[in-house]
Amino acid sequence: MKKVRLKDLAYARSGDKGDVSNIGLMAFNKENYEIIKREVTPEKVKEHFKGMVKGDVKIYEMPNLDSLEIVLYNALGGGATRTLRLDQTGKSMGQALLWMEVEV
Amino acid sequence: MKKVRIGSGSAYWGDMLDPAVELVKNGDIGYIGFDHLAELTMALLQRAKTKDPTTGYIPDIIPWMKAILPTCAEKGITVISNGGGANPEAGGDEVVKLAKELNLTGLKVGVVVGDDIFGKLDEMRAKGIKFKNMDTGEEDIDRIRDKIVAANAYIGADSIIEALQEGAKVIVAGRVSDNALYVGPLMYEFGWSFNSPDWDLIGAAITVGHIIECAECCTGGMSNMWKVAPRLWDIGFPIAEVYENGDAIITKTPDSGGLVNQWTIKEHLIYEVHDPSNYLMPDGIADFTALKLEEIGKDQVRVTNMKGKQRPSELKVCIGYRDGFIGEGQVFFPWPDAYEKAKKGAETVRERLKKVNLDAEELRIDYIGVNTLHGEVAPEPTSELNEVGLRVVAKTKTKEEAEKVRREVTHLWTIGSVGSSFGVPLPIRPVVSLWPTLVPREEVPTRAIIKEVR
Repeated sequence: MKKVRLKDLAYARSGDKGDVSNIGLMAFNKENYEIIKREVTPEKVKEHFKGMVKGDVKIYEMPNLDSLEIVLYNALGGGATRTLRLDQTGKSMGQALLWMEVEV
Repeated sequence: MKKVRIGSGSAYWGDMLDPAVELVKNGDIGYIGFDHLAELTMALLQRAKTKDPTTGYIPDIIPWMKAILPTCAEKGITVISNGGGANPEAGGDEVVKLAKELNLTGLKVGVVVGDDIFGKLDEMRAKGIKFKNMDTGEEDIDRIRDKIVAANAYIGADSIIEALQEGAKVIVAGRVSDNALYVGPLMYEFGWSFNSPDWDLIGAAITVGHIIECAECCTGGMSNMWKVAPRLWDIGFPIAEVYENGDAIITKTPDSGGLVNQWTIKEHLIYEVHDPSNYLMPDGIADFTALKLEEIGKDQVRVTNMKGKQRPSELKVCIGYRDGFIGEGQVFFPWPDAYEKAKKGAETVRERLKKVNLDAEELRIDYIGVNTLHGEVAPEPTSELNEVGLRVVAKTKTKEEAEKVRREVTHLWTIGSVGSSFGVPLPIRPVVSLWPTLVPREEVPTRAIIKEVR
């Protein structure tokens, strides 16, 4: 088993609705989709973001797009209009997820 | 098979105008949608309207319409915009005035109203509607009632369809969902109706609307394709060619920059979605988990097998309320020991803020170049940094407290380390927080008002 960063397996893009951040994680191919589906769990994602995600993490599978939709609750410091983060809408959250190491 | 070509002309208030002009000139489209509203925008516009009742719409809609209406009239393109913001009637009146100047006599302008429930909140509360906060679970708006500055429902396509049936060629709406700007014309053209709905077809319209509604964000903007997307300064806005069986081809203005491929469509399909099999819109619920994407040519992606479900009985409402202030300051530190200098600066500011008894609800310190974006996820730097910025920001109840933060950070100009560099101090920002909630659909009747240019 070797470990790689998600950046080597998938693309990501993130957005916001209020204080909820969502990350679409799009595997480069079917093989990588099986890996991210197995390795990227709500527990691991919550741990990866340390204190940044205060609420739950939910993950939805999109096998037709080889993608996962990852939803992070209470994750943007209160939401775009009142957060103290410079990245008010959490556009960089998806890129932050790409640091995560998984077993392949 | 009948088809409709529909383009998207704006992703946000402040977007580029020239790609929209290119789209109406060269896109061979029948409709163009313009989204100018974000969650915060309604509160800003409502505030403007309170000061001057003739304002409250997006001021950009006038120069935008001026640039495109003559071409749209010539080519028979219908324009649908949510730039009416907090005052669609005033926005509509201005568009009529402009159309008259452009000699577009006989043009019908439809104004969609009903989304603004700011003036009806107490009446609705008296009926027992509590406005429970969807995010926090807080049961009632009591705590914020006297601080509310705006309350708008995300309304659907009903009154857009009504305006189109009455012959409107320009539609100015307020807080319709971005999505309804596209669902409306597709339902109208294909005769799809909420009275005898085929929810898969309406689901297809919602999905297509979702793909193109942020304009350049599905044609190589904000994209993982940033390395290979050509001529982003000339980016083309998207066009959906939709067929009456609910299939669609997504493309963009011919000979423009940017690109459309499976990735640019995927990254928008997953964008700002929660449960992808239940994408809730006022006009229906789309399911993105069965659809199929195929690259069928240069800058052409076919989307098939889109699915949908019945529209929800409740509408989302966004309430904006005044919620204190944010004060912020930034200082930058050069090599050598840039990061250490920034950390020393942070310690100095913290002690200064204690000395002036800062009363803050929340204080945040970022090191620009190290962890501003990725926060706790960012690893510590392993090599010497050329320069590091210090960002100190706090949320406070009063403007005076926010001002303390701004002032104390400027003191690092003189008591920080040698080489401390600074730009222009940032202004204090008033905060409008958002309270998302649901209300029964029947509490938000909408209608279309038709104004003719004479």
